[in-house]
Amino acid sequence: MNTTLQITPRALSEYYAETKCTWCDGCGNYGIWSAVKYSLVELKLHPWQVCLCYDVGCHGNGSDKIQGYRFHGLHGRVIPFAAGAKLANMKVPVIAFGGDGATFSEGVAHLVHAVRSNYPITFVLHNNANYGLTTGQASSLTWQGQPMNTNPNGIPERTLASMDFIFALEPTFVARGFSGDIKLMTRILKAAIQHRGFAFVDMLQACPTYNHFATHEYLLERYFDANADGHDPSDLQRAKTLASQVQDRIACGILYQREDIPNFYERLSPRQGLQTTCVEEVRKYDVSDYWRKLV
Amino acid sequence: MEELKEGGIVLHVTPGWQFPERHQKLIKERSLRVLYFPVDDILTRLGGKAILSNVLLTAFVWSMLDQEVDALESLVGEKFAKKKALLELNMRCIDEGYSFVYPEKGKISIGLPSPNKEFSSHLLVTGSEAMGLGAMHAGVRLYAGYPMTPSSPLLSFIADLENKTHMVVKQAEDEITAAQIVSGAMYMGTRALTATSGVGFDLMSETVSLNAMIENPTVFVLAQRPGPATGLPTWTAQGDLLRAVNTSAGEFARCVLSVSNSQDAFDLMPVAFNLAEQYQITVIVLTEKQIAEALYTQEPYDLEKAEIHRGTLVTGPEKLMALKSSNRYDPNVEGGISPRWLPGAEAATYCAQADEHDSKGDVDETWGNARSQMEKRMRKFHNLKAGLPEPRLSVASHGKKGADWISDEDEIELLMIGWGSTNDVIQDVMCSEELRDRRIAYLHYTYLWPLRTEELQRLAKRAKRIVLVEQNYQGQLGMLIRMECGLDIPDKILKYDGRPFFYDELLSLLLEKVADKAKGGSVFASTSSKEENVLGPELAGLSS
Repeated sequence: MNTTLQITPRALSEYYAETKCTWCDGCGNYGIWSAVKYSLVELKLHPWQVCLCYDVGCHGNGSDKIQGYRFHGLHGRVIPFAAGAKLANMKVPVIAFGGDGATFSEGVAHLVHAVRSNYPITFVLHNNANYGLTTGQASSLTWQGQPMNTNPNGIPERTLASMDFIFALEPTFVARGFSGDIKLMTRILKAAIQHRGFAFVDMLQACPTYNHFATHEYLLERYFDANADGHDPSDLQRAKTLASQVQDRIACGILYQREDIPNFYERLSPRQGLQTTCVEEVRKYDVSDYWRKLV
Repeated sequence: MEELKEGGIVLHVTPGWQFPERHQKLIKERSLRVLYFPVDDILTRLGGKAILSNVLLTAFVWSMLDQEVDALESLVGEKFAKKKALLELNMRCIDEGYSFVYPEKGKISIGLPSPNKEFSSHLLVTGSEAMGLGAMHAGVRLYAGYPMTPSSPLLSFIADLENKTHMVVKQAEDEITAAQIVSGAMYMGTRALTATSGVGFDLMSETVSLNAMIENPTVFVLAQRPGPATGLPTWTAQGDLLRAVNTSAGEFARCVLSVSNSQDAFDLMPVAFNLAEQYQITVIVLTEKQIAEALYTQEPYDLEKAEIHRGTLVTGPEKLMALKSSNRYDPNVEGGISPRWLPGAEAATYCAQADEHDSKGDVDETWGNARSQMEKRMRKFHNLKAGLPEPRLSVASHGKKGADWISDEDEIELLMIGWGSTNDVIQDVMCSEELRDRRIAYLHYTYLWPLRTEELQRLAKRAKRIVLVEQNYQGQLGMLIRMECGLDIPDKILKYDGRPFFYDELLSLLLEKVADKAKGGSVFASTSSKEENVLGPELAGLSS
């Protein structure tokens, strides 16, 4: 059959960077990196139209392997930086990336308040269940009983039930992807970027060097597209069950989504009806009206 | 009690109260009048709760000050307009308090001068409000903060006005968040502000380092209070100067400046943002609890004076299209200041990279790049230093205008060095009857880092005696001065008890200094490492 090719390669090439990848062979970052580029291109966004914010971790080393206005910051802090960027210019889509190490330890307070605030940004969790960049220490999401760097006998703590935790915060968008399925990740990311509020995207990824429990093969055998199986993302109870019950099969896709909750910016009374962004509003202001009550 | 003036009045409400001996001595020495006001008796009679003593006492003081009772009644009436029963009781308290007369003493009256019409258009403003107005004037459109005294009044003031200013205001979950939100907003291209105090700034300091690496203009207000730790949360200090200058990882250019009153708290906000954007650095604006919460009578601000300078910000389609990614952090750029352009602008993109990076923001750990990028960033420091104003000199005189003797090469009897809130009290003391004819000068530092010392060194050679006046234990400005130019100022008036300098105490300390009778000691910590430094200061490289 003769089909007309959708001309996207030219747009994809806009995202090419000269910098060579230094991730390990088989690292899940390659897949996520590709899916991010596909999703931006399919949303018809040029690099100059997006803001990509990276935390510190193996994923963060991707900050110079793509085009776009990028930021690569400090460990655990990417969410508030990205939120500040977005609130300053609502016209630019802002995507923040962070690892499970930073997000569920050093930066966990930021995650809590980001979900609670429903900032209009996308957050992509590079979830390889360990600190890869610093050579394989246990994260809050590392399974018990796994010898890790600095925990040769396995972690004495309990593993954090990340999805139960997220759902306890009343999120408006929760999705789960798998680094081996680029098409699925692209679909998820496109929906997340278009989401009204804070989109939490848990990308399960292989870490062939340090994660010897949830390996690529392990995830490959268990993951499935829950939406293709008929899961309705508006079904909260089903979403919670799918999100947390991962022993036998791992439900991926858009697990939960609601668009009826205003985001943080929409809830700011002083910004109602304004068409301008904070970036556009920088100028000298006559403040004499503000001091009238002080005279 | 110690702070009362000669002939002052002590009003107390404790029946049968006996003053301790030292207070009795003070009462005698300073001819203080002690008044017992029978709050309990009156409230029992009226059947009112203890909280009403506020209104009762206010009414009594109101009458002592010879103020019209109607004015007080209308103020209280506004407050309790919706609570009829309470209003009635409050009004009875006003009657009782206002008409109270001591049978044996008669009506006590403290004649206040009638209001000066000259000030009728002036503002009654705190340093925090002044700073908030200055920030709004400077085009700040987003404020994020976490409550901590004495920075909270700024957050409250800006939040209270949000429906008028249409600013984005965020009470963050912690200081780290506030600093990061503001940094993200500045990266995007708006003007954003945060303020904190004490250990709150420790939490922000990693973000100061971050902004240095990505050359992101930012302004942080650090409202000082005494530490360490929680310290004296609601008292004042100048203990964070060295911290502002040195905090956070790595070596980088930053600017530290300090406000001193409601005038420059306003004026310096546009200046701070201009410096931040022109040099793409962090500017730390110091204030103190004493400034943040003190009320000033302030003439209406000049709204013409300030200008908005955004440095090398590139706008306009043609210029943007001509940019290359490598323009953003080009290490060879003149003065170390690269073009800056904003996310969302149709142009080549770059990475604001917290790892050491090349001209595009790509990670680059090669030795040559590390050197050239460090040198690029530090070039900004040298240029900044050359461009900052020298400290401001003022001299003892009859009026505010200043005497002309300072222009000649004559000896300066006493040269004081200070910064922050000490400015105003020193200015007042220099105009005192006792000192205004003396050859006394004060050098006030607003721009504290990079520190300019040329003017100081020039004046130091002419000064018979130099005294450092600071509200910290170590004499931190003195330490910076010594570090930067070798000038050691052993003669110090230092106060670190959380209280501001008071006119009387500073005057008496300075009188001691000019009488040259001080043996190096004072009620605070006035230290002299030399027996007397009447021979003038040691100036490294200048003294033989």
